[in-house]
Formats: sequence, C-alpha cells, structure tokens
Amino acid sequence: MTTAYDPTREQPEFALEISEGEGAAIAARSPLELFRRRLRHDRVALAAAGFIVFLVFCAVFAPLIVKLVGVTGPTHQNPHALDSFGTPSGPSSSHPFGVDQLGRDVFARVLYGARVSLEVAIVATAISVLIGVTLGMIAGYFRGWIDTGISRVIDVLLAFPILLFGIGLASACSLGNGCLGGLIKPGLTVVIFVIAFVNWTYIARIIRGQVLSLREKEFVEASRSLGASNRRIIFRELLPNLVAPIIVYSTLVIPQNILFEASLSFLGVGIQPPDASWGQMLADATSIFDTAWWYMLFPGAALLLTVLAFNLLGDGLHDALNPRVGK
Amino acid sequence: MPNSALKASIAVLAALAAALVIAACGGGGGGEAKSGGTLKVLDTAGGVDSLDPGYWYYQSDYQELFTTTQRALYGWKPDGDTPTPDLATTLPKVSNGGKTVTIHIKSGIKYSAPLQNRTVKTADIKYAMERCFLPQVANGYAPVYYADLVGLKNYQDKKASDIKGLQTPNDTTLVINTTKPAGVLTFANGGALGMPCTVPVPKDYAQKYDQGKQSTYGQHQVFTGPYMIQNDGKGNITGYKPSQKLTLVRNPSWDKSTDFKPAYFDRIEETCCSDSTVAAKQTLSGQNLLSGDYAAPPTPVLKSALSSQKDQLSIKSSGGNRYISLNTQVKPLDNVNVRRAIAAVIDRTVLRQTRGGPTLGTIATHFLPPGIAGFDDAGGTNGPGDDFASSPTANVALAKSYMKKAGYANGMYSGPALLTIADNASPAKETAEAFQEQVKAIGLKLQYREVPHATMLSKFCQVPKQKVAICPNLGWGADFFSAQSFIDPLFNGANIVPSGNVNTAMVNDPKLNAQIDQAKQITDNTKSAAAWANLDKQVTSQAYFIPWLWDNNVGLESTNLKGVPSKFNSGAWDFAFSSLK
Repeated sequence: MTTAYDPTREQPEFALEISEGEGAAIAARSPLELFRRRLRHDRVALAAAGFIVFLVFCAVFAPLIVKLVGVTGPTHQNPHALDSFGTPSGPSSSHPFGVDQLGRDVFARVLYGARVSLEVAIVATAISVLIGVTLGMIAGYFRGWIDTGISRVIDVLLAFPILLFGIGLASACSLGNGCLGGLIKPGLTVVIFVIAFVNWTYIARIIRGQVLSLREKEFVEASRSLGASNRRIIFRELLPNLVAPIIVYSTLVIPQNILFEASLSFLGVGIQPPDASWGQMLADATSIFDTAWWYMLFPGAALLLTVLAFNLLGDGLHDALNPRVGK
Repeated sequence: MPNSALKASIAVLAALAAALVIAACGGGGGGEAKSGGTLKVLDTAGGVDSLDPGYWYYQSDYQELFTTTQRALYGWKPDGDTPTPDLATTLPKVSNGGKTVTIHIKSGIKYSAPLQNRTVKTADIKYAMERCFLPQVANGYAPVYYADLVGLKNYQDKKASDIKGLQTPNDTTLVINTTKPAGVLTFANGGALGMPCTVPVPKDYAQKYDQGKQSTYGQHQVFTGPYMIQNDGKGNITGYKPSQKLTLVRNPSWDKSTDFKPAYFDRIEETCCSDSTVAAKQTLSGQNLLSGDYAAPPTPVLKSALSSQKDQLSIKSSGGNRYISLNTQVKPLDNVNVRRAIAAVIDRTVLRQTRGGPTLGTIATHFLPPGIAGFDDAGGTNGPGDDFASSPTANVALAKSYMKKAGYANGMYSGPALLTIADNASPAKETAEAFQEQVKAIGLKLQYREVPHATMLSKFCQVPKQKVAICPNLGWGADFFSAQSFIDPLFNGANIVPSGNVNTAMVNDPKLNAQIDQAKQITDNTKSAAAWANLDKQVTSQAYFIPWLWDNNVGLESTNLKGVPSKFNSGAWDFAFSSLK
C-alpha cells in the first residue's frame, strides 16, 4: 500500500473483497451490498435480528397485546389469583404466565419489562456511543495532551467498581428530585445515566485506536495536504470508516446495558415499583422460587433470550463488516 | 428511649407472626412433661443481642437468656397475664398515694460460681437498677419506666453515687420512692419490676466490669436462674460464640423449691443462623428441636405444616401490631378526613394476605392489640366502631365521602405526590406495594421509594426533618402487658425528637398529652385499663396511624417435644416450661 492516493482504496477492506471476485464476472458491489450478502448467509444472526424485531414489536404494542390476550394490566393486583396464604397461582388460561405475590399478571409484566429493557438499552447505548465516539475521535486524532487527558479519564473510569458506583449513585439519586439539580431523576433516568456514564469508555477506547491508525493512512494525509480542515477530515474522512466498528460495538454494548439495568433493578436501586423490570421481577421471585417457578422462569427467559439475541446479532454484524477478522 | 422501644418492637415483631384463630395448638398432642434431655434451638435472625441482663430487651434475649438463666423480682407464667413473684415474696405493697412501693424478697437465693456462697440481697437489685442507667450498659427502657424515681436526676448528673429513691432498709426489703405515682411500678399497667433490670447484680463483683466504654459484666455474670451459660466456674463464659452458639447448662446453685419454673431440660443448645426454610423443616422433621428467634416460617412450610403437622405448630397472638403511619405535619394529611379516607380505602385483608394470610394475624380495628390491658375496654376484636377502621376490605364509597368532607369535590385527591418510604424486603415490600395500588382509588399519588428496613427507620421515618408523609411498614410490640408502652411513646407530643423519633405521625395535641400523663399515674388496674382504652379510641378515631394487623407468633416444635408458648414473651416458646414428651 505504498501507492499514492487512490479514491478506490478509501475503504481498503471492501476493496479486497472486490479483488477476490475478479476471476468470475467482475461486478462492482457497494460495501453495503457486500455487507448484506454476507449477513444474509448468517442464519443465526438473522434469527437473532428476527427475535429483536419481534421484541421491539411486543414492547411498542404492549398495551395492545395485553388487551388482545385478555390479561390484566402490569400493575393491576388481583388478590383472587392468590390463595388465602398469599401464594400466587401458576399459568392458567386467564394468566398464561401465572401471577406474582400481589396477583399481578406475569405475562403483562414481562411484556412491559421489555419496554424498560429496550428503552434503557437504546437510550443509554446511544448516549454512550455519542460520548464515546466523540471523545475517542478527538483523542485519537489530536493526540498529545488531549489524548493523554482523555485516556487517563478513561483509565480511571475503567478502574471504577462500576456496579458499586451504580448502586451508590442510584440510591443517592433515588429520592426527592434526584441529583445535580434534577438532571438525574429517580427511576429510569438514574439507570440510564449510570450506564451511559460508565459504558462510553469502551467505545471511546476502540474508536481512539481505530483513529490512531486511520489518521496515518494516505487518504487522510492527502486530504490534509490539500488543505482540508480538521473538522472535514474527522467527519468526512474518518467517521465513514468508523461506521463498522461503531455498529458492531453498539450492538455488543446493548446486551451489557440490558444486564446492567437488570442488575441494578435486581438490587432494588433501578426501576422503582410498581413499574415492572425483568431484574426486579427476578429479585422478587427469589423468595418464592420453590412455590412459584413461573415468576422466575418467564422474566429470566426473556432476559436470557434478549441478551443472547443481541450478542448473536452483534457477532453476525461483526463478521459481515469485518470478514477478515475473527473467523 | 423511644428509639429503643421501637427497636424492641422491631425485634419482637421480627420474631412474630400467627392467630387467635387457631389458638392453643402448641404443647398439644398429649404426653406428660418429662424431666431431663437436651433441647436444641435453631436461630435464624442472629440470636441474642447481648449477654448483659441490663441490656436484655428483645424477644430472643427474653426467650434464650432471661427466663432461663436469671430471676427478676417478678416473672410471668407462660399462660399468665398477671405477674408471679419470683425473687419477691408477694406483689408490691403500694402506699403514700402510689408514690411508695415496698417489696420483700426471698432469703437464701444463691448465685452461681464463683459467688456460690453468696445470697441475693436487695442491695444487689438496687445496683442492678442503677447500672441500667449507665451508658456502658446501654439499656433501652430504664429511662422510660423508672423515670420518676426520687433522686434519679442527681444520680444521672453524677451528683450522687446512688439513686435515693431506691432504699434497702435490710437485706430482704426494697423500698422504691417516686416523685409521682407510677403505674408501671405497681403492675397497674404492666410490670417494669419484672423486667431484667431487676435481675440482681452484686455491686462489688460487677463494678469492675462496668467500667470503660462498654460493660463486660455479661461475659462474667453470675446466674440465679435454673440454667447458666456454660462457664469455667471462675466467672468466665465459655458457652457463647456470637451468631454461632449459646449453650446453657444446669445451675447447681439453683434451688427448685424457691422457683415457679419447672426447668425440665438438663441442657439447652442454641445454634445460629440457619436459613429459615431449612430451620423450619429441620424442626418439624427432627427431634428435640424448638424454633428460636425466627419470624413466621416461610409460607410453603407453614402451609404444609398446617395440613399435616398441625400439632407441631403453636399460633398465638403476639401482642404486637402493624400500622401505616400518616404524618400530620404534611399536607393534606393534616386533615383528619383525608387520613380517615385512607383508612377506609385500604383493604386490610389483602394487606394481611401479603404476609401469609389469616394464620399470621387478626385484622386490626383499633390500635391496641389483644392481650394488652385496655384492649377489651376499647371494643375488643370488633373495635370501637369507627366506620373507616372497621371494614376488613376496602370501602371506596366511604373513602370518597371522607375526601369530599376534606374538600376534594369529586372525592379524588389532587396535589403533589406524597413521599412514601417503604421497606425493600419481602414480605413488607409487597404490603407497601399493595397499599400503593389501593390508595389510587382516591387518587392518592405517592412518591414511592423502597429502602432497607434500617434505613427506612433511621434515615427517614424516624427523622421529622425528612417530612416523610407515609410510612406503610411500621409495627410495634408490647414490652409487657402495658398499654402505656403503646400509647405514650407513639402519640405523646413530648416524645418527639429530631432522630429516632417513633411518634412518626408527629402527633402533638396538648389535650392528648395531658391525658397520657394522667393515665401514666393511675395505679389501679381497672381504672388504668379504662384510661388507656379511652386513649386508644381517641387515636384510632383521629387515624394518625392506620392499624391493620394484630400479629400472631408462629412457633414450631419437633414431635417428641412438648413446647409451651409464653404469653408474656409474644407467644415465643418458654424454654423453662417446655419439655420432652
């Protein structure tokens, strides 16, 4: 790769793929098309994507589904679904997933729990990606003391006992109007803030590494020698080359975030009752596990499948975008 | 002091749960009491808090140490609600208009080694009561019940070396002088003279241990009861490892003929801390086992035991209650009609179901629980008849009518959300979440948070500055059969303190305060009960607290045991009366 600047080499990985097909009919395929072709052959990733689409559908239309299935709402307590000792009843036609200790329908709560998980996953991931990409690019591109500063902050944050920090912050902000003058409100916002606050570091590190190598590439140098501004180089030259890692790592961060939310809610500092969250349901279920298995099984299975689906999709995307790596 | 009283109630309530409904199964199943054998006790909640008699206050202290290893001036037979003279020869003689109480004690009662040659003198009881005021002993009730002793202030200010109001004209006589009549010292409303502060402590022996930051007398104590904690005979305890084991053996100095306790077992071994399900199952299927300090067995175990091992269960009223506290200094709870509306809208049956249903208690219709003097005068189980307090299920129409009286046109609340701090552990959290759902019927919005039990009390509910509007997970336990221990700390405005405040409703009504102070001075049983019942009716009618359950205590026993539950100690097993079959 010692040739002078060549626009077709702007995205070297995909250029290589084109050269592989050279023996047969030479077809110029766009990187997006190549990505699609590869992903289409990955059945596991497709199944995972299908499940995620299904999950999003369920979460969005939760109220409608609850009505269609004919179960009671997620916070409606039905004492008649409990025996006189307060023991919840198991799956039945009126409550397909059974009820919890307060007679609330587990099916409806699992469904509404999906909303919480996805909301946290998407919002927190978006925030951490935004922060991570911005700071990662700045650090990698400008290097010097800016890089040192940002990298040290990342080191410090990575050394944080994240879960303990999350518990501390969440319980500190869980009262009144929250912390920082009402910026971090109790409940969902605390969870999102905690997750975004700690998770941007992973993305920032990866992006910084990528930028460090990209900025030495010929096309960047050429652009610079033509007098392009830093802004132009960052946004027009570097960012398009970072789309692949950003997509892959966001997809891989999502399940982490879902689990983190579940852990916080499990420990009682996340989503506050009566709102349902999978982690909180699992925590509630531990005390009655031997009599009410359904209360742990269904939210547990939902959590497991969701995290698994995001992980498999992330792997699939990773393979499709970076075919040379990892196989 | 009210703090400690609450701690007591927590401890008592922690070890609570079941009913009048299925009264007196305990000790059933026939079989004569047999002497000898070893009793094994499984604790799950940490066992005793302290070895020091001056500190003992909680249900497990009473069960595992007080009734077994020491003797006080008075004691209680398991089924009695009047005291039995223990060290004392008769009930106290009251004179001087209720301000002087005279007690004679038995002579010849001996201590365990190394003081086996010494007999109990009234001077030892005087010192025992005095040391209860020492910071090293950290007693929780002496400042409440012995507050009116003559010369107490001088003693506490270190201006006097002893309490002038405690006099010992000879070795077997104790004369107590108070500045005003004190019902608690005459058994008119309870029995502060039956509490462990009257367990004799020989001054010359104990004083060297009562120094420093914390008294170590507990580890070196001498015993008067039928048992003693295993020791080396030189004043050092060997049979105790905190949160692990406590071993009691027979006390050779104890003379059976002087005591009302039969003390059948030869040895009592208490082990801590099993999982409550495991402990319950072991007790039901094993031998020689009685349940120790644990709360009601987990519902599945209880449920199966009720159907197949009913005679191994003892379900007794515990003399404790559970209530929802409404802060009268937070709007709109300053309005009595809003408070009544909340009382009417809650479904007490559903709240009880969250704890395990009818076995765990009787639905409360007023504040004082059964077994407390004044309970019957206040209407018994049916209560005084307030419409908002007497329905076991929700009465939404009535609640809305009270909301209308409070000025909410359509009977629905509108306004800011009310700060509500709940316990985050099962089953209390379920109770609170059920409450949260129920009050929606009158449009009540809660700013609802769940925190650990200790945080809920020490950081929120007991700190007036926090202005917590609603505390749904509070409870109170009796100290003895005293209504005073229920009404005075919780509703007397004089007892409001910046932290550790148990008057969580912030009730400060001068008229009510005066009536409470008057009731405390009544030394006649019947009049006392009537006075406290009247106060009970008033606080129930004001709906400061919404009582919803009178708790039961559920005890478990092995098939070869004849367990005897103690009425005095919240229905917990009395080890000094239980035996092998």
